[in-house]
Amino acid sequence: MMSIQLEKVVQTFYEGLEEGKILGRKCPLCGNVEFPPVYACNQCGNYETQWYEISGKAKLHSIVLPAALSSKPEYKNLGKYAYGEVELEEGSRLNAVVRGISKKNRKELSAKLPLNCHASIFQREGGYKTVVFDLDQEQ
Amino acid sequence: MSTLGKYNRSVSIIGVGCTPFMYTVDHPETDGLTEGELFGYAALKAMEDAGVNPRDVDFYFHGEASPLNGSNYLTPNVQVANWFGMKGKGSIHHSEACCTGYLAIEQAVNAVASGKYNCVLTGAVEFGDSTPSPADNVESPKHPYKRDKMTMEKFLKTTSWLYDRTYTRSLMAGQELIYDDAAEWYVRTRGITAEQMNDALNWMCINNRRNASVNPLSLEKRTYESLAEEAGMTLDEYMNSPYNPKMGDYLRAGGVELKCDGAAAAIVCATEMVPVIAKNLKHRPIQVLGIGSAACEATTPHFEVRATEEAVRQVYELTGMSGDDLDLFYANDFIITSHLVSAEIAGYLPYGEGWKYICDGRTAWDGDKPINTNGGRTSFGHAHAASGLADVYEACKQLWGECGEHQVKKQPKTAMLRGYGGAQNVAAVLLRTIDQQEV
Repeated sequence: MMSIQLEKVVQTFYEGLEEGKILGRKCPLCGNVEFPPVYACNQCGNYETQWYEISGKAKLHSIVLPAALSSKPEYKNLGKYAYGEVELEEGSRLNAVVRGISKKNRKELSAKLPLNCHASIFQREGGYKTVVFDLDQEQ
Repeated sequence: MSTLGKYNRSVSIIGVGCTPFMYTVDHPETDGLTEGELFGYAALKAMEDAGVNPRDVDFYFHGEASPLNGSNYLTPNVQVANWFGMKGKGSIHHSEACCTGYLAIEQAVNAVASGKYNCVLTGAVEFGDSTPSPADNVESPKHPYKRDKMTMEKFLKTTSWLYDRTYTRSLMAGQELIYDDAAEWYVRTRGITAEQMNDALNWMCINNRRNASVNPLSLEKRTYESLAEEAGMTLDEYMNSPYNPKMGDYLRAGGVELKCDGAAAAIVCATEMVPVIAKNLKHRPIQVLGIGSAACEATTPHFEVRATEEAVRQVYELTGMSGDDLDLFYANDFIITSHLVSAEIAGYLPYGEGWKYICDGRTAWDGDKPINTNGGRTSFGHAHAASGLADVYEACKQLWGECGEHQVKKQPKTAMLRGYGGAQNVAAVLLRTIDQQEV
């Protein structure tokens, strides 16, 4: 029997990244995976979810390239990247950074959407890690 | 997915007020204006327009997107009541950032429809272009009325406060997709080219500016046609030149809001009580038929599209209406793509064809499908919380046939306002003029 817990979900998520784990939360009733992790299930409304390490496999459904308004000097460390709708293998969808996309290959890649990609752990300025995605070599 | 119930009683807008949208600190005649003066002006104009006395108004709603940064206030509603004769009356402050002025109508209508109040004021004020002086930080003591210009750089820093600190800012994509996600979605789903999207974005700017050029309250009145002529270019050359540089993947500079200062307000009254309360009523009441609402946090893919689809679905399901019933459309287009995307989602423009209507000038104030007849956020200006109520002001004036030089050609009866903002709240507000026999 589970119960609603006052729990440090955010800190656990970021500590997981330090250990190389990308954690979401899975609903024990309907199986929906919440990513990034939160308390409740937004699919069926169940109060509780449980920690679940995501596989990292994902698909990219859209491509928006960064520009003057939509980039920051600190994003330079990402190399070539785009923003887009990412669907995790577990079904969750989120807006995310996907590396390996540039002005040069954008047209070719856009014609092939959705594209296979995978989650990576990325060191942010400010002393914490976050999650970005990289295009798979094989599409 | 929510299902809306009908209001317990009919509620109408009976008066509106709006300041010019302006850069107050840039001009000696407006430099030094304060929150009470702007909000008070809009509130009193709305009361005068409705033919009501402040004593007839039971309660007021106060909107301001960023009161701590813009006014050095935590409870801005309390600080202004005396300016418009409502000293001692109850009030509440709310902020949904750029969607505030649309949800301002939602809150007022709910309060009256419930039966708690018969007549309320709903208003909003914003100094989007300046902060109390000195502008060093929010903790330092401030001058009673002097303000300092707020740079775009500082403004963009404060907009990060709109996004979830725990995940969204860290993941980086949500806050950056606001500029181009809707354009990418439109291009991909409608199968148009990037060049066609570029034309549509430019023509939304041109049409907005044409509308603003004949609106006395607007911030920027110089048409793109006149700017091109001054630069010795054709209109097409100018819109694709360094005068209108690319700022996003699709977005050009002309498609970004002109942040500024301003206030607007409306008087919202139970329709059955109008003859009793508004003894000097000047216009037919405009009934609020329903308001759909949805909010998608910025990590949600295509947040604007998804939230707009849901808000529109709710209000059409409630009223049995469709895009074919709309005579006028307003979209909070601080990123101008909103204007096209939301008008198509609402069915005001046909699916996949809206961009052609825009490029043909049919959505300008004198076209057959007018959108943002006041000039929208890129030309009327964007005083963040106040913009929604400025759109309500314009919609009501058009529905009353009182817009003079920019009155739309066919007298409208029904209007939709698509509110958007605050990363991201969406509202779909449906208004209709009450027929003489219904009053």
